[in-house]
Amino acid sequence: MVEVTEVDGVPTLFAPSTGRTAAGLIFRVGQADETLPLHGITHLVEHLALHDSGLSDYHYNGETASVYTHFHLRGGESDVVGYLGKVCDGLADLPMHRLETEKEILRTESRTRGGTSALPLWRYGAQGYGLPSYPEWGLARLRPEDLRWWVENYFTRENAVLWIAGERVPAGLRLRLRPGARRPVPVPTSALSQTPAWYTGDDSSVVCSAVVRRSTAASVYSGVLERELFRDLRQEGGYSYTASTSYDPRGDGYATITAHADALPEKQGAVLGGFVDVLARLRHGTIDPASVAAVRTKSLENLNHPEIEAARLPGHALNLLTGQRNLTVAELRAELSAVTVAQVHAVAVEAADSALLQTPHRTTADWAGFAAAPTSSECEADGRRYAHREDGELALVIGPEAVSIVRSRSCSTVHYAACAAMMSWPDGARRLIGHDGIVLHLEPAMWALPYQEIAALDAGVGPARHLPQPARDPASIPRPAAVRPATVPPAAGDGGNVGEIIAIALLGLVALVLALTTVLLVAVAVDAGGGEPLDWAFLGCLVVFTGLFATPVVMLLRRRRRRG
Amino acid sequence: MTITPAVAAPTFDRAAAFPEVQAVQAWCRQGDWDAVARHFAQLPTADAVYFTVRAVGELPGVMTFVGEVAQAQPSAVLPKLLLAARAAALAWDARTTARAAHVSREQFDEMHEHLRYGEERLLEVTAREPGNGAAWALRITNARGLQLGQAEARRRYDRLAKHHPHMYFAQAQLLQQLCPKWSGSWDAAFGFARRCAAAAPEGSLSGALIPELHAEYWLSLRGGERDAYLRRPEVQREVAEAALRSVLHPAFRPTYGWVGAHSHFAWAFSLAGDHRRAAVHFRALGGLADRYPWAYGGDAEQQYVKHRDLALKAG
Repeated sequence: MVEVTEVDGVPTLFAPSTGRTAAGLIFRVGQADETLPLHGITHLVEHLALHDSGLSDYHYNGETASVYTHFHLRGGESDVVGYLGKVCDGLADLPMHRLETEKEILRTESRTRGGTSALPLWRYGAQGYGLPSYPEWGLARLRPEDLRWWVENYFTRENAVLWIAGERVPAGLRLRLRPGARRPVPVPTSALSQTPAWYTGDDSSVVCSAVVRRSTAASVYSGVLERELFRDLRQEGGYSYTASTSYDPRGDGYATITAHADALPEKQGAVLGGFVDVLARLRHGTIDPASVAAVRTKSLENLNHPEIEAARLPGHALNLLTGQRNLTVAELRAELSAVTVAQVHAVAVEAADSALLQTPHRTTADWAGFAAAPTSSECEADGRRYAHREDGELALVIGPEAVSIVRSRSCSTVHYAACAAMMSWPDGARRLIGHDGIVLHLEPAMWALPYQEIAALDAGVGPARHLPQPARDPASIPRPAAVRPATVPPAAGDGGNVGEIIAIALLGLVALVLALTTVLLVAVAVDAGGGEPLDWAFLGCLVVFTGLFATPVVMLLRRRRRRG
Repeated sequence: MTITPAVAAPTFDRAAAFPEVQAVQAWCRQGDWDAVARHFAQLPTADAVYFTVRAVGELPGVMTFVGEVAQAQPSAVLPKLLLAARAAALAWDARTTARAAHVSREQFDEMHEHLRYGEERLLEVTAREPGNGAAWALRITNARGLQLGQAEARRRYDRLAKHHPHMYFAQAQLLQQLCPKWSGSWDAAFGFARRCAAAAPEGSLSGALIPELHAEYWLSLRGGERDAYLRRPEVQREVAEAALRSVLHPAFRPTYGWVGAHSHFAWAFSLAGDHRRAAVHFRALGGLADRYPWAYGGDAEQQYVKHRDLALKAG
């Protein structure tokens, strides 16, 4: 039986368990609570809070998910007391001297962890539940005060639940957390105008997500889908090695069912076709009762674990934290036993209606009744229009409320009010990411555009959503072909600018000295009243030299004005 | 000396050999759904269903009638199958038989629109009835038109073959996909045709895949090479053996598709100059014919009449 108690005001779930104690402190905050310019802040807090606790040999960890952050470990009672105490102390006073180091560690972690799923981005856009698809772009700009504000808002006593599986709640366990409020899970956003929808991925695998009402039947459907995919794509077809599904409650009464099948590039068409057929079969009710029975049996068997109550504590804690119904083992067993083929079919219909399908590279799913997920904007900004320097089909429109790049058959528009973030490079390049996930990338050199317009864009978005980027390699900055010299590499970007400025300054200085000398000589000669005869040859030479040095200065200045 | 009578032009109408198919077409025109449904319910093979479905699909205006039935009977499979067959006919009409380079973007768009419409219905039909051979065969052709690739076309055939291992029309459709013109290879195509022909029961139509594929290969050749191809001894031998195992076998019955099968054998022997062998097939055809492969050599009717007359004179 699970016992509900309290440790320092934090609701605590306890279930008896033998062996080492397992414990976890869960906060109701995750990536979905962030915004794009702050993306990474929860993860960074988690790392900083853990920094001081990692020297012992017990098994501990932290996890930042979409709607929760979980600090957990397995060890002796004193380890639990020590670890959780240090986590809370760490949160109360984040080791800011570690800030830059932990940022680096997170950047490395994201590189080694590999690609994130693009499904959230396409379903929810560049906000809320869509953020786990994005790199932790906020890291670079996060300051100590941002982190403290985040901790005060979210890592609080009222916004946490503790679970412990062991002999007892360890004596001396203290959770020194600030008071705060329970935070509801974010309201889901949508970047899709209709579902079922599809988009093309950049590898040969097929991935599909569906959002359905959370239920025991829905978890069984997920299991049935996995069995059917595995049978069709691997056992019978031999097109895939992996075919699997996952069932993840979102914390708001809904759950996300994600299915994935990999493929060799030459088999990707068959994997897509087979995948679509399995989805269609379940949706149209061709469901093998034996498959449902097998999933039911397996799920029931999993409940037979002697310490099942303890094993289910993290899920239970999350339900408590998000205000979701938590089934006891007996209730779950009863519900599982009662799941029918008809119920699974009803979930399949719901899943099909909300499906988002990622098709393999260079394939589509329009033929299978899926609508194309939006890759361009419906309307164009109202404002000043600029021509592209190379492509006559392209136009840039900068208005008081939005910016667009208009192509012949589509356009990308980002409204400043609905701009998630804007990346900005020192060379003037800008990349705006709309809440709908639409990306508008602006290379200033490629447009006949006064530089003030970039400033207008910067002001429109506002500094709170700027993501300053490091300077780019000058060679990688796009420039129109006409400006590019044929043989010499372009003097571009910062390096080019610095060289040019030095040249202008030096040449200009010499020209100025020469010009002044000339004027002085003439003035002296005039002032002397013709006492000394004016050396016209010397003066001529001075004028010629002045011209020689001044000409390149003028040319360079003109070039700069043209480019700007 | 006898005077050869002027023989009539051939009938290319696919339903001509099958009065019951003509009856189904008539019921569709009259809007007698019960009669249509009753007829389909008693068809014995997937090939029979496929042939009849395609014949209905050729009827202009049939979409309105079948569409109404589909709406009234949302869970019925047959109306969806017929709608998809009509959509396929419209799609390939929109594309025309021109080479891809001569088909406009608008024509392709229209083709794909029809195919997508049909494919959505077929997806449901095969989901509800995974053993519906006619639906899978239509989906093999759809995969080709929608350019879903070799692997997907093959997968569709494999799903079908689980239930219908020797469905001739499905084999003929996949064979098209396996040819280089649809990004396949001659190796894959010949391998498939020979395996199907060898594995099929004696007297079945699958043997006709051999002359069908030789016709495709012949079409890919030019000039003297093309003229000599069908006369090659190994080609002649293979076609003759295939004929003996299928349409000339004692177990052969004139099932749906037999006109096309005899047509291909008649064509292959005619172009090889073996008019005596061709004559057997022309006689069996008795004035019926399939437009292909005769149309490969120009005007189908002229080609057919010319070679038939030569054959009947020779033997």
